[in-house]
Amino acid sequence: MAERPEDLNLPNAVITRIIKEALPDGVNISKEARSAISRAASVFVLYATSCANNFAMKGKRKTLNAGDVLSAMEEMEFQRFVAPLKESLEVYRHEQKGKKEARKDKDKKTDSEEQDKSREEDNDEDDERMEEEEQNEEEEVDN
Amino acid sequence: MAAAAVPGPGPGPGPGPGPGPGPGPGPGPGPGPGPGPAEAAAPGEDAAGGGPQGPGAARLARLPLARVKALVKADPDVTLASQEAVFVLARATELFVETIAKDAYVYAQQGKRKTLQRKDLDNAIDAIDEFAFLEGTLD
Repeated sequence: MAERPEDLNLPNAVITRIIKEALPDGVNISKEARSAISRAASVFVLYATSCANNFAMKGKRKTLNAGDVLSAMEEMEFQRFVAPLKESLEVYRHEQKGKKEARKDKDKKTDSEEQDKSREEDNDEDDERMEEEEQNEEEEVDN
Repeated sequence: MAAAAVPGPGPGPGPGPGPGPGPGPGPGPGPGPGPGPAEAAAPGEDAAGGGPQGPGAARLARLPLARVKALVKADPDVTLASQEAVFVLARATELFVETIAKDAYVYAQQGKRKTLQRKDLDNAIDAIDEFAFLEGTLD
């Protein structure tokens, strides 16, 4: 039984909470509107994934990384998301590092996995640097 | 770039967003508190973690990463996605939901309603370029 991708919905409760926090107090949302937004969110993920995957393929990588997703946001004309997303990513990375260190103390068998993860992080940093360099090139061209 | 692990409000919306006196957020990550389509205050953004947060608890994804990952895997062209990628996608989706809700609400206000309806969403999708990818997908 094949599920269409659009049928994979995100949890209603969370979607509703996000909507309510985005809107002023006292504003309601109809069931139809909420379910349409939920569906839109799923479509958004699918579209963003596809976009991000293009960037990964351009970089000859088989693994989507955070930089690819950020590039996808710009491509999709959601540049205003990029700054807050970068912030969130910083926080997330800190947390992951903390967890990793706790795990390291417990067992050292997963050394190879950790190396892979830190390689991914390095790649992300490289991508960010690359993006900055590209911007510089554009500025020179304009001059 | 100094990691913003120092306790404090961080460079976001809220008290004294500008450079101003005080600890000074330092390497301000970009032009201030990203205004976005709606009002700049948007205290809701800070409450992403739910109320007063300790350093680092802010802006964690509320959407379950497993579900987001399921959507990512639904794409036949995608081989693998890093954990970070899934996280950023989840966060981006939350921002997207906030954005589209606010933009649709403008139309409800025009209709002097306090309830967001499906047609408000349709209007927003028709009017706003960034939502063009949604056309035809919500039926």
